[in-house]
Amino acid sequence: MITRRTLLGTAFAASAAGLYAPRLRASAPDTLRFASAAGGPRSADPAKTTQGSDNWAVIQMFEYLAQPPDGNFGVSPDDFTPGLATSWTTSDDAKTWVFTLRQGVQFHHGYGEMTSADVARSFVRARDISVGSANYTNIAEVIESGKYEVTIVLKNPDPMFLGSTVAARHVMVISKKAEEELGEGFATKPVGTGPYKLDRFDSERGTYLSRHEDYWGEPAIITNVECLYIADTTARTLALISGDVDMAEGVRQPGWVPQIQAQKPDLLFDMTVPGSFNTLFFNLAKDPLQNIQVRKAIMHGINKQEIVDALQPMSRMVYTLNPPNYPTGFDLEELPEDLRYEYDPDEAKRLLADAGFANGLTIPVNTSQREDYSTQHLIIQEQLRQIGVTIDLTIMDHSAYHATNRQNLNTLNINSSSLPPVPLYVFNDYAVSAANMKEDGSGGANYSHYGVLMPGVDDLVAEMLQTTTFDDYVAKGREVELQIQRDLPMGGLPTLSYLVVRNPRIDLGYEVQGGYAYWRFCKASIVG
Amino acid sequence: MARYLLLRLLDLVPTVFLVLTLVFIAMRILPGDPALAALGANADGGQLEAFRERMGLNDPLWLQYVHFLWDAVRLDFGNSLMSNIPISTLIANNLPHTVYLTIVSVALGLFIGIPLGLYAATQRNKLPDNALRIYSLIGYSVPDFYLGAILLIVFSLNLGWFPINGAGEGFWDGLHHIFLPALSLALLKSAFLGRLTRTSLLEVLGRDYVRTARAKGAREGRVIFRHGLRNAMLPLSTGIGISILATLSGAVAIELVFNRPGIGRLLISAIQERDYPVIQAGVMMFATFVVLVNLLMDIVYIFIDPRIRMKS
Repeated sequence: MITRRTLLGTAFAASAAGLYAPRLRASAPDTLRFASAAGGPRSADPAKTTQGSDNWAVIQMFEYLAQPPDGNFGVSPDDFTPGLATSWTTSDDAKTWVFTLRQGVQFHHGYGEMTSADVARSFVRARDISVGSANYTNIAEVIESGKYEVTIVLKNPDPMFLGSTVAARHVMVISKKAEEELGEGFATKPVGTGPYKLDRFDSERGTYLSRHEDYWGEPAIITNVECLYIADTTARTLALISGDVDMAEGVRQPGWVPQIQAQKPDLLFDMTVPGSFNTLFFNLAKDPLQNIQVRKAIMHGINKQEIVDALQPMSRMVYTLNPPNYPTGFDLEELPEDLRYEYDPDEAKRLLADAGFANGLTIPVNTSQREDYSTQHLIIQEQLRQIGVTIDLTIMDHSAYHATNRQNLNTLNINSSSLPPVPLYVFNDYAVSAANMKEDGSGGANYSHYGVLMPGVDDLVAEMLQTTTFDDYVAKGREVELQIQRDLPMGGLPTLSYLVVRNPRIDLGYEVQGGYAYWRFCKASIVG
Repeated sequence: MARYLLLRLLDLVPTVFLVLTLVFIAMRILPGDPALAALGANADGGQLEAFRERMGLNDPLWLQYVHFLWDAVRLDFGNSLMSNIPISTLIANNLPHTVYLTIVSVALGLFIGIPLGLYAATQRNKLPDNALRIYSLIGYSVPDFYLGAILLIVFSLNLGWFPINGAGEGFWDGLHHIFLPALSLALLKSAFLGRLTRTSLLEVLGRDYVRTARAKGAREGRVIFRHGLRNAMLPLSTGIGISILATLSGAVAIELVFNRPGIGRLLISAIQERDYPVIQAGVMMFATFVVLVNLLMDIVYIFIDPRIRMKS
């Protein structure tokens, strides 16, 4: 029988257990704990993840045929090293790619050896699901030309095929057998070949991984990886400072990094350059943005360096649509003087006067409450005030912001994307008429209506699509960049690195310089 | 009695129906597109359209509403638009944490608040009474999420006595994890309950039957607990009911601050992503919980006050 005395005694004992517990450990000795800024995992299927945070688990469990350098993108074809393929060849027209597969690669959880059937299924599936880049639709045929050989035939040449498609998450190699057996369940019970395998997928807490002991390459050094989800910024920051997690997604707003450094000076900051690149779209359907004098005035009125300074150490300068460290990006000195649009408030005022707005003008603009968007919009609002342009800013939640952008309700919207150094990605997404945004929400992310309300770069992009060498591809891409600078339907804003804060007890085994907003832990070790 | 309970349970139907209808309308009026939230801002029109079609978002609103009500009647809310995980699984994974947090918080609030109120009532206008007044004032003024962050910094980050986030595994670990979040909610509830206990008790202690008990030589403890507190229970039970509901709403912020699983955290994330089915199911859970707590309090009244039992 439970008496009142028993009940009270138990309660006190429980309290005492809490109060006198030893100071909580940091992470378990052989576990790396990573905290991302989201509510919980949605999917661990590489072809179906739609939430960036989920990719942290995906990149540990799945692999590419050709591996980009750790901590960076592969910018040119020479940057890729053998992954699940040991070698590859391409035809002169850059349409046929033959991959020789590594033998003896074992899938997780006893799903057997990887063969060409698994690779073919992975590519065809990515194309058919059609979530992600239109580059997958360039795949005409995937042929199992041998047990350990796959031939991929493209509709159009792609000298950047390794970067544009092979090293993209959607085509990471999955177990065909597991996918057929598990169906939709594959999203929460994924089977890949990577250095880590799934132990537990918990939709509330995170994804728990352990070392794949039959891994074909160097086994991972740390035994366990926990990809946790802590959406609240304060909770995530406290978890990091307390040592409860080893790595955590940072907050990309002015002052956050110095604040964290002051709290715990030994923390390390890993950043991708460029990370997200931000683009300012002029909606050519809205008055008076059809007038190129007004667009030029606005670009001259924006002090990009001030934005970079405000967002240090995460921000870098951009002069064209693609950032300077991407193949088609330009440095300032490479651009003709009239296409630089350097900060010049006097020139901005002169252009506005020429356009008939000597007394200034007011532009209603929506922005997202997400810190990276709102920070830039607020800075730009203040800068443009100096040239007589009043930005009537409405801050709304992130989902509403993107929805209103897609309904042609914004005028000067910013879009932030973390795209690889594959120029066609950004041109296809933002600049071609096929991506034109439509009021019913059925269009793409060309928020300017470039190529629809004014002549665009469709022809140049089509020519670029037919190039067969990397050099020609880049040269044509740079022509596209210059044409966009001349027409100015959109302009590049400073980039914003993706930021992860790391406890010094974790050595990643390589330096993070660029790449997607997720990286591998297989070389990481615990040093403290 | 059974008929009364049945009738009260039937109240649940129009209440939940009304709440669900309002949520359905509100979510469709708000700007935001689940397809964009799921596929990202760079998804092309074709991908977005395919997603909307697959998820039934292209159906006419009335048809979506009919499907939604029919699914609600069968307690089948389908799958999350974002993760494709069955909503029944999401609810099953989260609801127990919210209920647990609510129970522990209210229990802690009672454990702290009622003795404080009792003591203050017996020390009217003296130092303890004034101290409770100040404590209550602070309790009413400090938001629970703020108090939660302070407790987290002091007891988890600086002293390291409690886990910094999560819900823990197993009973003891769970108890260790829930203590600070529950305390964040409980301290503020205890301020309210303490004040209510004091006021109710003082009112009762001035009654004739209490004076009579004292005149007959009853010990002060017996007067306070048997004659005073027992008769002060009716307003106090109303206060406890209100506390339970307030704790439930406060749990939304506390679950975020302490990164605990729970219906509140699930709902916040679903609202940001416009995950309609999850929002609808989550709100239905909250509405049902509110109606059930009210029903429970009505039942408690019946047991506390025989006059209500006679009327019903």
